[in-house]
Amino acid sequence: MPLLDIKNLTLEIDTAGGRVKALDKVNLTIDESEIRALVGESGSGKSLIVKSIVGAINDSWTLTADRLNWKGSDLLAMSKEQRRKITKDDIAVIFQNPVSSLDPTASLGEQLEENIPDHLVGKGWFWQRQEKRKQIVSRQLHKVGIKNHELCLSSFPHQISDDVCQKFMIAMALVSEPKLLIADEPTMGMETTIKSQILKLLSRLNQNRNLSILFVSHDLLAISSMCHSMTVLYCGQTVESGRMTNLRKRPLHPYTKALLDSAPSFSKDLLPKSNLSALDGTIPTLQHLPIGCRLGPRCPRAQKECVKIPAPRHIHNHYYSCHFPLHRPLK
Amino acid sequence: MTALLTVKNLKFKRKVRKNWWQKAEKFVIGPINFELNAGETLAIIGDNGSGKSTLANLLAGVVTPSSGQLLLNGQKLRHRNLKQRSLNIRMIFQHSKESLNPALTVGTILDEPLKLNTNLDARERKEKISTTLRQVGLLREHAHFYRHMLSDGQRQRVVLARALILNPQVIVADEPFAALDPSVRSQMVNLLMRLQRELGLSYIFISHNLGIVRHISDRVLVLQNGKVIESGKTDVVFNWPKSDYMKKLLTAHQSLVLSKLLD
Ligand SMILES: Nc1ncnc2c1ncn2[C@@H]1O[C@H](COP(=O)(O)OP(=O)(O)OP(=O)(O)O)[C@@H](O)[C@H]1O
Ligand code: SF4
Ligand SMILES: [Mg+2]
Repeated sequence: MPLLDIKNLTLEIDTAGGRVKALDKVNLTIDESEIRALVGESGSGKSLIVKSIVGAINDSWTLTADRLNWKGSDLLAMSKEQRRKITKDDIAVIFQNPVSSLDPTASLGEQLEENIPDHLVGKGWFWQRQEKRKQIVSRQLHKVGIKNHELCLSSFPHQISDDVCQKFMIAMALVSEPKLLIADEPTMGMETTIKSQILKLLSRLNQNRNLSILFVSHDLLAISSMCHSMTVLYCGQTVESGRMTNLRKRPLHPYTKALLDSAPSFSKDLLPKSNLSALDGTIPTLQHLPIGCRLGPRCPRAQKECVKIPAPRHIHNHYYSCHFPLHRPLK
Repeated sequence: MTALLTVKNLKFKRKVRKNWWQKAEKFVIGPINFELNAGETLAIIGDNGSGKSTLANLLAGVVTPSSGQLLLNGQKLRHRNLKQRSLNIRMIFQHSKESLNPALTVGTILDEPLKLNTNLDARERKEKISTTLRQVGLLREHAHFYRHMLSDGQRQRVVLARALILNPQVIVADEPFAALDPSVRSQMVNLLMRLQRELGLSYIFISHNLGIVRHISDRVLVLQNGKVIESGKTDVVFNWPKSDYMKKLLTAHQSLVLSKLLD
């Protein structure tokens, strides 16, 4: 049984131009101790999926799904209390721009201690509890590879560098010992060496602690270096998903192919300064979504049928939604 | 043959204070030496804070060097000689969003440098604006658009059009792709390479993205703490790196590229 199982998640939101389906029949599963990548361009709805999972969506929006299950129990059928308990105890989220998600007026130590759930501290006199808190805090920082923890804890958010800050955010997220960590663009804008440190840290946590990770990003290099499987999103529709290796070796959806081609490091025999293969046009806005397959106007393989939404099909565990996938020759 | 742009012993010094109680630290860049030929791309690599953006600003004339020389076609560029410089060396900044005025139409934004720097009349300027828009893959109608009506990729194209409109010889681009999405980024990379082939432009290109650096640059310059620690032809530096820093960077990059290919 997958840890998280989402089937046909649709989210309708209000925009200036009326109501639109920002997410349209999205499918996503995360297995126990799996690192799953959620890939898509800006505005494709990645963060909306994250918000739907943790239940942080606007009351006026309409969310429907055939399944939104956490360990087999339906999150949508639960009471608000039960759901909040699960998202608080079992799911942790870290965001891009680590500095801005911390309180600038409190030291890092104070913020971390506040995050420790009471049951981990246990009972006792307040000085004993205080002592226990301190222990937990330094253990956490040690785990994420922050060495000089005294200094780190007494610092304020603006005084530490980006990478320490992101490690600290990971430490905060892990205090409550979650089953699933959702990382929304955790390495955006970081330089290569620091990025690979953060990615190694996440991989290690995954291996040592059986932590499942949903890694949200459009950085293909980062994704393919550590993720086991990948779900590709375009304009609020899931276009392809499967094992990382299969998708990289043989993408079936034209969009996935374009995405992989956009990272020149992956193509071994690309001549310097030769043209990269690119899709025409730009990502449509929510107000001007094409009907049917939303890639339609930009897709080199598009035909008449594409005005109907393609149903998901699969070869073993490799799912794709396209009328004219790449493994079938065009007539 | 004289190089298009020659940089000799360029230095820049400034005192920076981190906190009021700490002693001011000296921030020094240089000495920097390089030559750039017409139609070539030079990439600058380095960590945040290694002085990449300051170097770009020095080249574009936004900040004054403490010493050293900049020669364009063998002629000395003085800092005061702003007009000559701004015609020949143009800059594209990191954040296209902030660098376009939201209250002006694209046409007006592109008209400003023409008004300031050329003697073209209104009709000629209009003509120039629509050719430049087409050069960067936009339509003439985009002249009537405001910033908020454009996508990220289109904004970046407008920024490029503004840089191109004065027929420069060198374009300095500070992380021009960082804010772009993959499928739009490839278009932009292709566009820059096409303009280089067609117009013989030279680029100085600052980026974290080693994959793209390797793909589009002829030579690279590696900066660490304001010093050039390595420079040379792109394929040489990428295949036989000399400095520890570059080796480390490439190993990190390679490990990202290769790791999941093996299993
Ligand atoms: N509160 C909101 N009200 C109206 N529209 C919204 C709201 N939040 C998100 N959207 C729209 O929903 C779409 C998906 O947004 P989302 O934030 O999920 O994108 P994303 O894939 O996370 O992009 P990025 O990579 O830029 O973070 C976008 O077009 C966005 O404009
Ligand atoms: S369904 Fe049609 S438009 Fe959509 S990706 Fe497939 S071929 Fe292209
Ligand atoms: Mg997002």
